[in-house]
Amino acid sequence: MIRFDGVTFTYTGADAPTLLDVDLEICEGELCVVVGTTGSGKSTFLRAMNGLVPHATGGRLAGDVRVAGRSTRVHAPRDLADLIGLVGQDPSASFVTDVVEDELAYTMENLGIAPAAMRRRVEDTLDLLGLHELRGRPLRSLSGGQQQRVAIGAVLTAAPRALVLDEPTSALDPAAAEEVLASLSRLVHDVGLTVVIAEHRLERVLPFADRVILVPGEGAPLRIGSPEDVMADSPVAPPLVELARLANWSPVPLSVRDARRVVAPLRARLSAAPKAPSERRAPATSGAAVASLEGAGFAYDEVLALSDVDLGLHAGEVVALMGRNGSGKSTLLALLAGARRPSIGIVQVRGEAPATLSPRRLVRSVGLVPQDAQLLLYCETVAEECATSDKEGGLGAGTTRGVLDQLVSGVPADRHPRDLSEGQRLALALAVVLAHDPPLLLLDEPTRGLDYPSKERLEGILARLSAGGTSVVVATHDVELVARVADRAVLLADGEVVADGAARDVICHSPVFAPQVAKVLAPDSWLTVEEVRRALRAADELAAQP
Amino acid sequence: MDPRRRRRALHPAAWWAWAAGLATAAIETTNPVLLSLIAAVVVYVVATKRSAAPWSRSLVVFLRLGLVVIAIRVIVQVLFGDRIAGHVMFSLPQVALPSWAAGVSIGGPVTAESVLQALCEGLRLAVVLLAFGAANSLASPYRLLRCLPAVLYEAGVAVTVALTYAPELVTTIGQVREARRLRGRPTRGLAGLRGMAVPVLEGALDRSLELASSMDSRGYGRRASATSSRRRATVATVATVAGTVLVLVGVYDALGSATPWGLGAAMLLVGAGLLASGVALSGRRTQRTRYRPDRWGGAEWLIALSGAAVVAAFSIAGALGVDGLQVSFYPLGLPPVPLLPCLGILLGLAPALVAPTSAPRRGAADLSAARPRDVTATESR
Amino acid sequence: MSRTARARLAVRLTTRASVLLATASLLGLAAFGWPLLVHARAGANLAHAADAPWIFVALLPLLLAIVLGEIAEGSLDAKAVALLGILAACGAALRVPSPGVAGFEPMFFLLICSGRVLGRGFGFVLGALTLFASSLITGGVGPWLPFQMLGAAWMGFGAGCLPRAAGKREIAILAGYAVVASVLYGALLNLWFWPFAAGTTTSFSYVPGGGVLENLHRFVFFDLTTSLGFDLPRAVTNAVLIVVLGRSVLGALRRASRRAVFDPVVILEDVAASPGSGPTSGPRHHRVVGP
Repeated sequence: MIRFDGVTFTYTGADAPTLLDVDLEICEGELCVVVGTTGSGKSTFLRAMNGLVPHATGGRLAGDVRVAGRSTRVHAPRDLADLIGLVGQDPSASFVTDVVEDELAYTMENLGIAPAAMRRRVEDTLDLLGLHELRGRPLRSLSGGQQQRVAIGAVLTAAPRALVLDEPTSALDPAAAEEVLASLSRLVHDVGLTVVIAEHRLERVLPFADRVILVPGEGAPLRIGSPEDVMADSPVAPPLVELARLANWSPVPLSVRDARRVVAPLRARLSAAPKAPSERRAPATSGAAVASLEGAGFAYDEVLALSDVDLGLHAGEVVALMGRNGSGKSTLLALLAGARRPSIGIVQVRGEAPATLSPRRLVRSVGLVPQDAQLLLYCETVAEECATSDKEGGLGAGTTRGVLDQLVSGVPADRHPRDLSEGQRLALALAVVLAHDPPLLLLDEPTRGLDYPSKERLEGILARLSAGGTSVVVATHDVELVARVADRAVLLADGEVVADGAARDVICHSPVFAPQVAKVLAPDSWLTVEEVRRALRAADELAAQP
Repeated sequence: MDPRRRRRALHPAAWWAWAAGLATAAIETTNPVLLSLIAAVVVYVVATKRSAAPWSRSLVVFLRLGLVVIAIRVIVQVLFGDRIAGHVMFSLPQVALPSWAAGVSIGGPVTAESVLQALCEGLRLAVVLLAFGAANSLASPYRLLRCLPAVLYEAGVAVTVALTYAPELVTTIGQVREARRLRGRPTRGLAGLRGMAVPVLEGALDRSLELASSMDSRGYGRRASATSSRRRATVATVATVAGTVLVLVGVYDALGSATPWGLGAAMLLVGAGLLASGVALSGRRTQRTRYRPDRWGGAEWLIALSGAAVVAAFSIAGALGVDGLQVSFYPLGLPPVPLLPCLGILLGLAPALVAPTSAPRRGAADLSAARPRDVTATESR
Repeated sequence: MSRTARARLAVRLTTRASVLLATASLLGLAAFGWPLLVHARAGANLAHAADAPWIFVALLPLLLAIVLGEIAEGSLDAKAVALLGILAACGAALRVPSPGVAGFEPMFFLLICSGRVLGRGFGFVLGALTLFASSLITGGVGPWLPFQMLGAAWMGFGAGCLPRAAGKREIAILAGYAVVASVLYGALLNLWFWPFAAGTTTSFSYVPGGGVLENLHRFVFFDLTTSLGFDLPRAVTNAVLIVVLGRSVLGALRRASRRAVFDPVVILEDVAASPGSGPTSGPRHHRVVGP
C-alpha cells in the first residue's frame, strides 16, 4: 500500500539526512504505530507518505515513496488526496471552514466530486464517525475529541485508501482520546482502511496495533515488526512494557488484560517484599499552610463552575487536581492564581486574597503555567526572554537563566522560544515563573504533548521543587504523572470536590484513574514501575540474607 | 409550499440584487418623498425578515452613518455654500480667506433653498447606504462568500479562513492577556501592546503553517486540466483591458456630455460587458464542485425581480419625462409626488410577503453558538 | 541573486497579473479622481455627475475580482492562502475597535510590515482581502468597500516596493512610509467622498471644466479642513506602532516566511544513485516548479 524504496531525505541546509535509506512496506488494511521521541524524524517520515515531504518543505529526496503505485516524486500532496489522508495534532488548526458539514465537504470540493456523490459521502462519514448530531454546529463549539473526529472525517470523505495520523490524541484529554481511537479502530476493522499513526502515549494505541515502526532518530535505521518484538527493546515504552521487562515477561503483553494473565508470579514475589506499598508515601500535611480555599465558589454568568470548595495547600506538597473537562479544575486554578475573584467564599494565598494583589506582588506568591506554556513567552530568543524576565520582575541579572539551567541544562540561548522542543519550552516558561520564587506553583495540564523523556524530566523538576518546600498543584488528566509525583489527589466533579486524600487511595482503585501498573497488580496498591522495582530489589536482598 | 421548504434561508445574492435595485432607484432621485418611501420600504422589509444573527444589526449602523452623512452635507452647505439669491434664513459672519484657499468662502447669508437642496442630496446618499445596510442585515456573509465567482476561488478561501479564524483570535487575545497578568506584566500601554501583540501574531503565523499543510494534503489547488486554460486566460486579459479602456472613455464622455445618454453610455455598457466576460472567462480554469450550493428558486427570482421592478419604474418614469424625480427648490415649494415611481417603490415590498422567515440551515451555526463555548473554553484550557 | 530573492516571495506576479494590476489601478485612479478631471462641454448640465461614483462602485469590484483572481491563479499556493487568511483575520481584528469609513485603522501597520516582508504581490492581495474580510465580519459592506480595498491594496503593494534596508533604518523607512501612505489613503477616500459631502453648490465643490490644478487646489483645501484631523492621528498611530512593534513583527513574519519555505526547492536524486554519494555521481537535479 505504502512503499518506501531506499528513501533518503535531507532538509535544505541540514548537514545530515533526517531519513536514511528507508526500505519498508505498509500493507493494505494494516494499523501501524510509529514510535519515536520528539525530533527523531517521525513527522518527516509520516509527511513523506503523502508528499508534503519534499514538495511543501523543500529538500533533497533520494529513493521513491509510492502510495498505491503513485510516486510522491511526481505527484504533489494535492494529487494524492484521493489516496492518502493526513491528520495532524491540533484539529482546530486544520479547519478551513467553520461548520462541520462544510468542513467534511471541503476536500471533495477540491477534488471536483459530483454534488450527488458528495452529499452521499458526507452522510456516510457523519454516520461512520458518529457526527450526525453535530452536522450544523460551528466547529469552534465542539469538544477536542469531536473536533479531531471531524478532522478525520474531513480527509475520509475523499475516500482515501490510507490514513496517516500524526499524534492525533496528544492534544486531547483521555476521554476524548478514547473516543478518537475507538473511531479509528472501527475504521480499521469495519472499513479495512490502512492506518499509520504516531502517538506519544503508547499505552492507548498498542492494543490495536498490527505492526510497530520504530524511528530511533539520529540516522539509525528504522525498524518494523510486530508490536511484541519491537516493544521488547524499544527506547520508548509505556509503563506496562517497562513492567514486562522488569518481570521478564515474553512476549511483551500489550494490554492490561494480557498482563493480568501472566502476573501471578510477580505478585507472589512482591508479596515477599518487606513493606506494604501503601505505607510508603504519606501526604505531607505536616508542612506549613501556604494557601486555602474556604467555601469558595465561582459562577460564569449564571453557570456554576465551582461550588463550596474547602481545600488547604501545604508547603512541599504535590497535589494533583483531577476530573473530567469542565469539572472546575481550571476555574480552581484561576481562583488560586488571582485571575478570578471567587463569587462566594474565601481564597487566600499566604493570608492574602490573590485577586486583590498587584501583579508585581502576585507573581511573588503564586506562579501559574497555563496549558499553552507558549503564551507566557513573547521575546525572540531565549536569552532575551530571560533578560526581560529579570528586568521586568526587578530580579538580579541572570536569575531566570540560572533557574532555567537548574531545570534543564543546555537550552540554547540564541534559539527562538517557538523553535524549542515542547519540553524545553515548558522549562523556559517554568523558569520565568519560578524566577520569582513563588511558594505556590500551579500547572495546568503540563504533560500534554510531552514525550516520555521530557515527562520524566518534568517529574524530576516537580520532585525537586516539592523537596525545596514549594507547594505544587497540577491539574492533569495524566494518571501516570499523578502516580509518579503526586502526594495527594483531589478529584473534582461538577464543580465540587468528590475526593481528597493520598494519591494512592484516590486513584489506585478507580477504574478510570488507575495507572496501568495499578490495574495489572490490583488488588495490591502499586502505582509505578519504579516502586515495583524497588520492592523487588528489597525482596531479593531479603532473600539473599542468610 | 411544504413547511420544510419555507424554513430554508434565501440565497444571499437575492437580497443583494433587491437592495441594489432600491439603491439604484435612490440614486436616480432627489425627491425627499420618494427617498423617504424607499427608506420606509427598506426598513420594513428588514424589520420583518431579519434573523437573530449578529450581522442583522447592520442596518442600525448604516442608519446612523446615513444621519452623519446628511449632517455633513448640510453643515458644509451652510458654511461654504454658494451664495445664490433666495429666502435668507439667517446670516453667518463672512470670513475672508487668503488667496491660497482656492476661492473658498466661509459664511454669508444662508438660504432655505440651498439647505433644502443639500438636505435632499444628503438624504439620497443616506438612503443608498440604508439599502446597503439592509443587504448586510439580511444576507449571511458566510453564505455570500460561498457564491463568489470561480475566479475568486483562492481569494475566497483566504477570506473564509479569515472569517473562521477571527473569532478564535479574540479567544487567543483573551488567553494572552490572562497569561500576561499571570506573569505580572502590564496588559495596557505600549509595553503591554508589544507583549500582547507578539505572542498573538506568532501563534497566528504558526497556525497558518499547520493550516497550509492540511489544505495541501486535502487537495487544495488541484487542477483537472490546465491545458486549455492558457488561451482563455489571454482572452480574459484582453477583454479586461479593453473593457477598462472603454469604461474610462465612456464615463468621461458621459460626464462631460450635454445629452443625457450618448456614445459614452454605449461605450460604458460595452466596457462593462467586457469586464463581466473577463470575470466569467477567468473563472472556468479549474474544475471544482460545490457542496449543497444555495438554491436559486422562485422566491429568489421574485425578490430579485422586485428590486429590478423598482429600477424599471424609475427608468420608465424618466423616459416618459414624469415630473418630480429631480426636485429643485428654486423656486421654493413642496416637491411633487409622481405616481409611477411611488407605485414602483411599493413593489420593493414584495420580499416582505414572499421571503420565507429566516431559520437557516447554517444561520444558527454562524456565530450565535459562540457564547456557551466561551465558558467551556475557559474551563478546559 | 535576484533570482533567489524572487524565488522566496510568497506571491509572484506574472506578466499578465502585472498588466491587469496596472489596468485596475488605472481604473481605480479614474474612480477616485474623476471630480478633478471632469471637463464639461458647453451646456453640460452635469446630469450624470451624481451617477459617476456609482458607476465606479459597480465596476471596480469586477476589476478587483479579475486582478485578484489573476494574481491568485498559479501563484497562490496553500501556504500563501493560509497566511493571507490568517493575516487578514489579524488585520480585521485590529480594525474592530475602529470600524466604518474613518477610524484609526491600526491594521495599516500590519499590512505594511507584511507587504515589506512577503513582497508587493502579497501586500496587494492582503490589503484588499483584509478590508473585505473585516467588512464581512462587521457586517459593513458599503459602497466605499471597493475603494478601501483598492487603497489598502496599493498601500500593501507600495510597502513591498520600498528600498532595501535593515535595522533602525528599515524601521525609519517603514514608519515614514506609514505616515505618507496613511495620509494618502485618507486623502484618496476623502476624494471619493468629496462630491457627496460638498455637492455641486458650495465653494468647496469641484468645478466642472475648471482644470485639474484648480480642482486639485480646492480638493486639497477641502481635505485639509475636513479630514486631516482624522488622517494625521491615524498616520501617527501607525508610525508609532511600527516604531514600537516593528522589529518584533517583522521578525515574526520573516521567521514564518522562512519556515513556510515559499516556492521550495526540491531536488530529486536518481533512484539508482546511492544516497549521500553527492553530486559527483550525477544526481538528476530538477526544480519542481511551485504549485
